[in-house]
Amino acid sequence: MCGLLNINMAYVNGTLIASYFICKRELWFMAHELTPDQDNSFLELGRFIEEDYYKREEKGFIVGEMKIDIVKQGDENVIIGEIKKSSRSELTGIMQLSYYLMRLKEIGIIAKGEVLIPKERKKIPVELTKEIEEKLRKAIEEIQMIIMEPFPPKLEKIPYCTHCAYREFCWS
Amino acid sequence: MSENIYIFSNGELKRKQNTIYFEVKDGNHKYLPVENIREIHLFGEVILNKDALEFLSQKEIILHFYNYYGYYVGSFYPREHYNSGYILLKQVEHYLDFEKRRYLALKFVEGAISNIITVLSYYRRKGINLESLDKINALYQNLFYQNTIEEIMAIEGKVREIYYSEFNKIIENKEFIMDKRSKKPPENQINALISFGNSLLYSYILSEIYKTHLDPRIGYLHATNFRRFTLNLDIAEIFKPIIVDRVIFYITNKNMLSSRDFEEKLNGIYLKESGRKIFISKIEEKLRTTVFYKKLGKNVSYRRLIRMELYKLEKHLIGDEKYYPLISEW
Ligand code: SF4
Repeated sequence: MCGLLNINMAYVNGTLIASYFICKRELWFMAHELTPDQDNSFLELGRFIEEDYYKREEKGFIVGEMKIDIVKQGDENVIIGEIKKSSRSELTGIMQLSYYLMRLKEIGIIAKGEVLIPKERKKIPVELTKEIEEKLRKAIEEIQMIIMEPFPPKLEKIPYCTHCAYREFCWS
Repeated sequence: MSENIYIFSNGELKRKQNTIYFEVKDGNHKYLPVENIREIHLFGEVILNKDALEFLSQKEIILHFYNYYGYYVGSFYPREHYNSGYILLKQVEHYLDFEKRRYLALKFVEGAISNIITVLSYYRRKGINLESLDKINALYQNLFYQNTIEEIMAIEGKVREIYYSEFNKIIENKEFIMDKRSKKPPENQINALISFGNSLLYSYILSEIYKTHLDPRIGYLHATNFRRFTLNLDIAEIFKPIIVDRVIFYITNKNMLSSRDFEEKLNGIYLKESGRKIFISKIEEKLRTTVFYKKLGKNVSYRRLIRMELYKLEKHLIGDEKYYPLISEW
């Protein structure tokens, strides 16, 4: 079973962290390379926002297996940014960034984070706290359990379904 | 919105920087909106070079080729962009395990026959005397006792034979019925329409498979030999009655076609370009028609229904939800 998964058990990537806080079923799909429908207009909007608003910024950094949208030098620390479409994904953005901050900390880099919502001109500062770190550790453990399961978690209607790229897959 | 392009003329498909254009023999040319194209159907003699193919591949545009008679011959299927080793292994597992393969083969035929019954029942309600419905119902009951794939296919074959013989009653246009009587086997105008419609359906389904993680070479009802696509043939069984056959009834009963739209060649009768164009415009219209999909809670087009059928299959393969074929209520 595990041989089929594209997952390094030691590390979990940011997308999986985000999915974990959105929908565990989505998490399982992602881990099994069942990428969602690219025709989905929400995804297209996401790509468009990324390409359009941040043309001049350096973006798409890869640190280990983390894909960080934006990295820039702040007054004191390095600032990493995660771009989100709307406030709906604010919380997942915070958790995703905190995860990157935690991983950077492990290799001795102290950084700060910012969740950016260009459409709403919002910028939410993110700092790694003890509680969040604790939450993340628990999440990582659980993520590894979920993706080891032979089947995806059962289908259940949640508010996120309406905007989810898996909507037609799940509800077909 | 992405669209399908149909090319009937002879000429050359060329790339020019970031666009593709079609140059007709007489020197005229037409640009194709690559960003909005899902697939291109080629009916004419078309010359293509590597540069154009590379570009189409990069844009993930599928080319479907038809021969002189309008029959599907093959597709240029760009490298898969949705890859999942997991799904591929599951697809193979369901092929190699006989019980699992039988289940899917049975379900595809169940969908096919159920939809044939839906179509016939509609015309019966309209007052046409279709006594064959009982025979088809009996065969349908029998389906579930068949053990081998060959037996399952045989039932489907019998049902289709009976079903096609009823076309004469459903199609009011005398021209078509006369032809049926004077048939010199096996071709007649109705057969030409069925073959053409099925060819189109195979290619549409293949294009939808391209948008999923499924490998079109692994079919369950139609044996896999890895040299041609078979999964689209499987899925087509379910959709033939509700898409292709309905379009045939529509255009014949509305007198949109006449014998002038057919021609006799070799030993058969084929649709001419004029007829193909009418057929294509109507089948495109059908694919865009929407119906309410309860589980999703919104309207979806027939084209989307094909995609969702593939999603259902994917979910079955990963053990998420058992596959049941689409049985049309419309
Ligand atoms: S559609 Fe709903 S259940 Fe399915 S992955 Fe998305 S959020 Fe989860």
